[in-house]
Amino acid sequence: MATSLITLIVNGVKRTIPVEEEEKLIDVLREKLHLTGTKRGCDNAQCSSCVVVVNGKAEKSCLLSIQGLEGAEVFTVESLASQNKLHPIQQAFIDAGAVQCGFCTPGMLMRIYALLNKTIHTSKEDIRDALSQHLCRCTGYETVLTAGLLAQEYMLKNV
Amino acid sequence: MKYIGKNIERTDVVSKVTGKATFLDDLFLPGLLYAQVLHPTMAHAKIRAIDTMAAEKAEGVVRVVTGQGCSLSYGDNIRDLTPMAEDKVRHIGDAVAAVIADSAKHAADSLKLIKVEYEPLPIYIDAREAMQKDAQLIHENNGQYWHLDHIHPVPGTNIAMHYEVIKGDAEAALQEADIIVEGEFNYPLGSCAAIEPHGSIAWFKEDGSIEIWSSSICPTIIQEETARLYGLPVSEVRVHIPDIGGCFGYKSDVVIEELVVYIASFVKGYPVKYVTSRKEDFTSTLLGHGIRTKMRIGATKNGQLLALKAELLHTTGAYADTGCNVLMAAAHNAGGSYEFPNFYANAYSVYTNTPPVGAFRGYGHAESHLALECLMDRLARKLGMSPFELRARNYLGPGKMNTLGEMMNETNGDVQSCANIIEQELFATPKPTEDIDYYYGRGCAAVMKSPKGAPFSSKGCYMKFNIDGSVSVNMGGGDVGQGLRTVVRQVAAEALSINPSKVHVYTEIDTQFSPWEWQTIGSMFTIQGGRAIIRTANKLIAILKRTACQVLRVDEDMLEYDGESVFYKHDPTVRVAVRDICRGYIYPDGVTIGEIAQASSDARLPLYSNPREDGRGRLGVTYTFGVQAAQIRVSKKTGEILVDEFASCFDVGKVINPRNIRGQVAGGVLIGIGASLYEEVKFDNLGRILNPHFGQYKIPRLKDAPGKQFIAFVETPEQIGPYGARGIGEHPVVGVAPAILNAILDTIGVEFNDIPVTAKQILQVLEEKGRAQHGD
Repeated sequence: MATSLITLIVNGVKRTIPVEEEEKLIDVLREKLHLTGTKRGCDNAQCSSCVVVVNGKAEKSCLLSIQGLEGAEVFTVESLASQNKLHPIQQAFIDAGAVQCGFCTPGMLMRIYALLNKTIHTSKEDIRDALSQHLCRCTGYETVLTAGLLAQEYMLKNV
Repeated sequence: MKYIGKNIERTDVVSKVTGKATFLDDLFLPGLLYAQVLHPTMAHAKIRAIDTMAAEKAEGVVRVVTGQGCSLSYGDNIRDLTPMAEDKVRHIGDAVAAVIADSAKHAADSLKLIKVEYEPLPIYIDAREAMQKDAQLIHENNGQYWHLDHIHPVPGTNIAMHYEVIKGDAEAALQEADIIVEGEFNYPLGSCAAIEPHGSIAWFKEDGSIEIWSSSICPTIIQEETARLYGLPVSEVRVHIPDIGGCFGYKSDVVIEELVVYIASFVKGYPVKYVTSRKEDFTSTLLGHGIRTKMRIGATKNGQLLALKAELLHTTGAYADTGCNVLMAAAHNAGGSYEFPNFYANAYSVYTNTPPVGAFRGYGHAESHLALECLMDRLARKLGMSPFELRARNYLGPGKMNTLGEMMNETNGDVQSCANIIEQELFATPKPTEDIDYYYGRGCAAVMKSPKGAPFSSKGCYMKFNIDGSVSVNMGGGDVGQGLRTVVRQVAAEALSINPSKVHVYTEIDTQFSPWEWQTIGSMFTIQGGRAIIRTANKLIAILKRTACQVLRVDEDMLEYDGESVFYKHDPTVRVAVRDICRGYIYPDGVTIGEIAQASSDARLPLYSNPREDGRGRLGVTYTFGVQAAQIRVSKKTGEILVDEFASCFDVGKVINPRNIRGQVAGGVLIGIGASLYEEVKFDNLGRILNPHFGQYKIPRLKDAPGKQFIAFVETPEQIGPYGARGIGEHPVVGVAPAILNAILDTIGVEFNDIPVTAKQILQVLEEKGRAQHGD
């Protein structure tokens, strides 16, 4: 099997990693870097549990071939809290009661992170559409939507 | 109360929002190997030959395993399960062989190199086909497997269990009835579809013990069955349960664990991990439902219910161990929230060539409620009575006897108050009138659910005071996302009068340390676990008082406890701090008296019994009642059903955590909406699942959620539960499908009996009636 080296900036740290030809970003993150906060919930890019932020965009890491990512800047859920202080988006998900089993949570957090970092004044519909790309079997989504809106409110206050 | 009824923060949220919660697939162990499993290409066949030569030589492969010579069988109700198929396959998700390799990818790649020769057998997808007289047997040994006494297999047929519930004489009473309604309803096979797929790790260790990790809420059953299968003392099997990414039923039983243990037995000394793909999560774990219910209800012209007669056919799948109790629960509770003086349920669990059925939130109740609650609305229409009025005349309540023969009393809850709240919320004003795009309507359903337990279904609790007055609580309840550890924190804080921030709740389950717990199922944790906590807290307080009475030289019964101290009740200045007596009391010279403040206890459902010959007995013990209703609109153009508002009200006895309980109901309702409108596992004629992926099998997204969920609670205290609380986890699913079907009837005047009711079906009936609107 052909192995090559690739360099990524993962959560702000330069990482040079041996990768295989057909490897996906999710496997590199989980198996090689042990960043297991990124979750796999399906086989066909439907659930969005594996969403991470790549070069500022929310991406399903199960779809991204590692080969095209040389030099990419990747943020995973592990990057959100700093010095044990939670990010406002994380706090919003807690305060809204949007976390039940928590398996889909990292993907949602990173989707909202990408969205609000791009346009903090985004509309309620945009937040709703963004979260509509995620599958959650626990919450019935009402707290999830509340969390997305609350995250925007918290981030606006902090700005 | 200080902490009950408050929105105390969940104990696990920070780990979950930081990505540090550890689910099964996040675990890595020294020397870890990976397994992948080969499944058959047809659902029923004899295995003629397996050739593993090529796979054994493939890159990274350590070992190839087949079921040949595997004579192990397991199951805690009917022992009809085997870890891997030995000489025949019975469904499309059976395990035929497995590859153990140095990576999951290598294991998967080499699976393709295994050649299997099959001799096809007839394939039965539905119970009705498998019950036909000339049907081939899916289990030649049906009837010979070890099983619980009250499960009656019919040897020489595909009937794994025949079960009857008999109260009075239903047939005679139906003859006397002024009015009869009847119908045949189908709740099809579905997937619990937790976002975390199933996974397990098994490790035969050099010291002869077995260590297992699994995404499961029955560690004790896994431990006991594994010990029995491999001839070890139960104490030599250790089962860990990490964080669980949703359950909804199908992680309640032994599912993939014995497969993984069997595979790992070929590479002793190495841990082996197997995590299912989403496709395998459909084909090779457990499905839910699959119950077809024929029901007849007879009543007087005044709307007094006289009798219910039901036949329940369960497409229970290739193995019946996990499905038989689902059907039993469906039969027990087919009378729902009403008193039927005469009742007969005739239920058959039938082997089919489909994946086995197990628990799915609602556990048989949703299935029989679909028939019952649709028929109640139709009966009301026939009688010209409001659906609320008809139900009100027949609700169970104090002094009334349910179908199982249990007498209801006030503490079982107040369904009428729930009905009043729902009627006020959704039915007090006229429904919206038809407009250019939509028809509007609404429907309701009453709900009753009791746990399907076992006589020994206890929950244990261990607590200790730490030297700073904080408390550690250890239990075996699996938190699958419902937040039961938060309930533990709140009940313990209340019972010990200490701030919840000083209560530390266990983060994982490990049979080496965890108190005994049967299975965390049946919406029973709050009620039983909560009681166990209070009992343990009382023991702790008693220990503190026993020590304090020596220190303070005051009789034990003259002492009081307030969370901080133990003191003489007539002179509170005579006191000793908990922190000074929790390790015993240490005198200045070091001499120590008294006991360590640690205690354990447990609780079960009092007098819960096995069924008698007539299928009845103390089989519910605790009940939660409620009423649910839907207000919908139906698109004239597309046939799409939109749920504008869904309303639920349950008598939960006592709300422990308002935010968490609302989350339970909101989430449960959406699972019910998915089942009502689109979820169904479909098969082709080889028994292959046609839609084993998200997208193909649609589960609701945010945009599919109701415009509004109204959620309310009545609080009539229950006798057993902590502070009067009763179970709620599964109940929100139970009334959703009939409420929606009744709303469809109200909206377009069409009776549907089978779910899901799709937009395509609605459009078709609208077209037939000339009521569709064709846009351009």
